[in-house]
Amino acid sequence: MKTSKINDTRYLLPDDLTKKHFIETLKSYFSVKQIENTSENFSILETFEWNLYRHNILAVRHQNQSITLWNEENLFDDELSFEIEEINARDKFWWDFPDSEAKDILKPMIDLRALHPVYKGVLKIETLNLQNDDGKVLVFCQLISIYEPEKPRTPVMRQVSLSPVTGYGREYEQAVKLLASMQSFKPSLTPLDSLLGAIGLAPTPYTVKPVFKFPHTLSARSAVSSIITTMIEKQRLTEQGIVKDIDTEFLHHYRVAIRMVRAAIVQLREVFPAQDVSMLKQRFGDLARETNHLRDLDVFILDKQRYMDLLPESMKNDLLPMFDDFEKNRQVEAKRISRWIGSRAYRQEMDELQALFINGYSAVETQWSEKTTIELAVTKIQKTYTKIYKAALKINNTTPDEKIHDIRIDCKKLRYLLYFFGSEFKKKKIKVVANHLKSLQDKLGIFNDLTVQGDFLKNYLLQLEHKPKKDIMLIASLGGLISTLYTMQVQEREKCIKELSIFSNDSNRQLFKETFIINTKRK
Amino acid sequence: MKIIASYSIKGGVGKTAASVNLAYASAKAGNETLLVDLDPQGASSFYFRIGASKKENRGYFFSKKNRLLKQIRGSNYKRLDILPANLSFRNFDIMLNNMSKSKKRLKDILSSLENEYDLIILDCPPNINLLSENVFNAADMVLVPVIPTTLSERTYEQLLTFFKNNGYKRKIIHPFFSMAQSKNSLHHQSIADLEKRHPEFLKSIISFSTEIERMGIHREPVLAYASKKSYVQSYRTLFNEIVKILGKKK
Repeated sequence: MKTSKINDTRYLLPDDLTKKHFIETLKSYFSVKQIENTSENFSILETFEWNLYRHNILAVRHQNQSITLWNEENLFDDELSFEIEEINARDKFWWDFPDSEAKDILKPMIDLRALHPVYKGVLKIETLNLQNDDGKVLVFCQLISIYEPEKPRTPVMRQVSLSPVTGYGREYEQAVKLLASMQSFKPSLTPLDSLLGAIGLAPTPYTVKPVFKFPHTLSARSAVSSIITTMIEKQRLTEQGIVKDIDTEFLHHYRVAIRMVRAAIVQLREVFPAQDVSMLKQRFGDLARETNHLRDLDVFILDKQRYMDLLPESMKNDLLPMFDDFEKNRQVEAKRISRWIGSRAYRQEMDELQALFINGYSAVETQWSEKTTIELAVTKIQKTYTKIYKAALKINNTTPDEKIHDIRIDCKKLRYLLYFFGSEFKKKKIKVVANHLKSLQDKLGIFNDLTVQGDFLKNYLLQLEHKPKKDIMLIASLGGLISTLYTMQVQEREKCIKELSIFSNDSNRQLFKETFIINTKRK
Repeated sequence: MKIIASYSIKGGVGKTAASVNLAYASAKAGNETLLVDLDPQGASSFYFRIGASKKENRGYFFSKKNRLLKQIRGSNYKRLDILPANLSFRNFDIMLNNMSKSKKRLKDILSSLENEYDLIILDCPPNINLLSENVFNAADMVLVPVIPTTLSERTYEQLLTFFKNNGYKRKIIHPFFSMAQSKNSLHHQSIADLEKRHPEFLKSIISFSTEIERMGIHREPVLAYASKKSYVQSYRTLFNEIVKILGKKK
């Protein structure tokens, strides 16, 4: 890693200060030499979750189809930037970009997320050297101005950065004094925050995972209403991304949010009247089912390389016609879903559902609706865990796969209960429980995915039967793939059984008993 | 932090031109770079518009770190600092002789700059003496410009012999062809012969050019005012080649 002497100082210039006055003031002490002057249309790129901002990185897309990344302490320093050159207009994922250091930086940060413009404007960078009469630079100075495209004369923001030159400390102090005399303002925020703030961007990092904290005395129904309201809000935040088909994560998070709403309705059903439960279950279920096919296709297409790698070198490309089919289907399906979410009927349905919960669900009292949240939480978590460990005890090598899948579903339910009510219990213990559960779920998840993928491929294979022209190599490669997935599934099954026996052992049972109790002091 | 010495027993072979341009290329690549002008003639300092240190304070170099840091001046380029030449550097040898551990003084003092710089380039005066031995001990790489002539070849081989006889690691020596003239058939022949006998020669070749000679008028690295010219670009190629070699060494 390169050494970076972070000693630049940044100032925002007051709106009423003219450029002429700025230069004249500097000239009272220095000879000012303009070295470089660039001006171009640019956009700031981000993901929906503001992943770059969260890593203190700014990404700028230039007119000439290149992208520059800066760490916030080196903003607009060309020599300490990372460049991606020669990109196409439609490139938005890290895998679209040519190999470069910048691509390697982006990959873990944005993962499946697309980069999209969150700000468009004109960026003007002027490099000014403050020198003495011999032409020796005494202070480096950079003036950065951002304009809205339609207002090229009034900058939205002007920022000056001063960098000292080794051995010329006194001259640097002088430059700082001159800036102060012009009422320039040294922002207390980080360089990135002050830049984004100055152009009116407020990063709002999104995450689908909820964090809840309920007052101890809150009624169970109010808590569940609040959970559902939060998750519907998260679901709705993803809608525009699905409509514009920006990346596959929008739909994924949309579905996760709905799944949590459904889990709250079904698992905590006792707080609602019975007939309402079946109505809500149906309506949210319909929303989820509508998107099943698109999600299946997304998952397959994202894993294209992995599937191809499962086949012998000579057969890899034989799978390509299938992926071509998937890509085509996906386009059709994505358009359908985009239209559906953009439709008035959908919006009406969502508005109605949202209105049901937003001020607390109003209906007749039920046996559980007025009990406390903690009572509901303890009862539900203990019951779900008991169900899992009892089922786990019965698992052996001859147990049908379906039983294992049932346990997986119960584990997911337990996981959601921990999301909903985790903050009601001791933090440290919850962490241990969550880690155990995650380890088990990971294994069960892989096992389930392999089954689902195998089934999906079998269905695709059967449908090939009706095609007039048979691609024999595609059929052969599918056969190979299905049997490989099956072998992997058998191996995963053993891991699941082992993990289940750990999850249901005495010490874990004790842990659950101790963790999920009423009257726990919160930590 | 890595240390490169631009060194040759012979004068006028392009040591300073290499030091100045490599230092510039390094800073432009984002490295905090220090160019140490060990040559009392002070040509490196001159090119960067920094005067030789006026004080006849020859003690400073080998004494306290803080006093050394005080002499460092920033150049006209970001991330490129210069430790200017001092006329009294000609007396280095006498001074070093009076000090204990006299062959490692330079290494000790430079290693105290570990947190300040990514790369230090030493522009060395042409001779073999106690200062040179300090350079050989301090440097991760000794870069030797060789004009493709018989005479330069002889001095290069003298250096190899010196390394061998005094137990220095030969593999830190990296020669490159300097001031090569494309129209000179003798140069062509020498390059071919030398590359055969000495495969350690770097691939980048710096050609002779009047543009490089004009650095004294511009008082800037040639990379800064004529960066588009191909024979100037070769300094950048040379820098990239050096970075690769230094990257492999840990």
